Amino acid sequence: MDTQWPRWEVFKQDTPSKPHQAVGSVHAADPEHALLTARNVFARRPQAVSMWVARADDIHSWTREELLEGSSKVRADTSLAPGRYLVFRKTSHKRSMTFVDYVGEVEARSPEEALVQAQATFGDLEALVWWIVPAEKVYRSDPSQETLESWFAPAKDKTYKQQQYYATVGSHVSKHRGGRGVEDEE
Amino acid sequence: MRSEVREALIAKLTALADDEVILAHRNSEWTGHGPILEEDIALANIVQDELGHATLWLGLRQQLDGSDPDRLVFFRDADAYRCCALVELPKGDWAFTMLRQYLFDLYEALWLEAARHSSYQPLADAAQKIIREERFHLQHTHAWVERLGQGTDESNRRLQQALDMQWGYAQQLFVPIPGEELLVAEGIVPDLALIKEGWLEHSTRHLRNAGLKLPVNPGYQPTTRTYHTEHLWSLLAEMQSTARWDAEAEVW
Repeated sequence: MDTQWPRWEVFKQDTPSKPHQAVGSVHAADPEHALLTARNVFARRPQAVSMWVARADDIHSWTREELLEGSSKVRADTSLAPGRYLVFRKTSHKRSMTFVDYVGEVEARSPEEALVQAQATFGDLEALVWWIVPAEKVYRSDPSQETLESWFAPAKDKTYKQQQYYATVGSHVSKHRGGRGVEDEE
Repeated sequence: MRSEVREALIAKLTALADDEVILAHRNSEWTGHGPILEEDIALANIVQDELGHATLWLGLRQQLDGSDPDRLVFFRDADAYRCCALVELPKGDWAFTMLRQYLFDLYEALWLEAARHSSYQPLADAAQKIIREERFHLQHTHAWVERLGQGTDESNRRLQQALDMQWGYAQQLFVPIPGEELLVAEGIVPDLALIKEGWLEHSTRHLRNAGLKLPVNPGYQPTTRTYHTEHLWSLLAEMQSTARWDAEAEVW
């Protein structure tokens, strides 16, 4: 018997004007537990206003390379009722902390059809990776003021150390510029 | 503030801080040993928050008598500590730790809700600040009690065992300290009898929903914070060892 808890991907929204962004994953027994652990692992510092979690198994993912190889055959079963899908997209290699950003919703009869819709709807930037998740498989933190206060507000008052503070051995990334391709800009 | 009220408030702030410090240290023993990484981090977060609360309570005490919070925490002997026995008990298994944290979080959340209306403004402000993250702690441990209670026969058995052990000890949270009636009369702290009503109502409902039986015999119920279990001595020996090893050190 597999005793591992399932993996959940975590999406964090830093401010109301920013999209939810994938920040990493947690293992948890159920959606509520996943949100609680996600808050602990990813939102203790410095700020957030909302978190979503989705089971890794419920995320349909395509990379640009896979799409070029033609592995995105639309297998839309037209007998299915249309459903809502959340669309996430990675468009840059520059950011190290995030993988995909939420860009919006589409309605489709299958994840594959949702991908086609997404490509047509969100074509402003080339996508390196698409994540498509059925809307009902995404669990969201409670938007109430009380939850905002207890989950996210205390972190704003707290001090924290940037990770580079601990890097006493080694040198700043700027020392290595040139000859290493695109550097992380953060 | 009359001197006897002031003395009582100093004693109360000390008791509040000592509960947080000792429980935080107990839970810190899980660091690196949690059942999964996520819960290891979560419990360490709770520990840090509880230490932050202790810092606030001892900061209020400092305003009253000029005492140094670090001296109080790291150089006081067990006899001078005023924590309750519940927080001294060894950490046990995960069920024991989660249940204790739940019982304590529920008490603390209810106490803080009421203490926000304290007539002593610094205390009201501190309660307002702390209640926010305490609500989150409570959600987390509330969820664990439910899952362990309704999980497997084994998890239910362990949680029941923890409850049988802790139920009596937990009642000490609602035993006023000497002089507390002065503080209640002045509206500085809430009446523990009222807090206990809410605590009993919430906790018994949740524990029963989780499939637990409330102990028929409530077991040993400590009534004074002057005497401690043997466990406090060994806990302090470890917690205070670094500070006492070089008492003049300014940077660790």
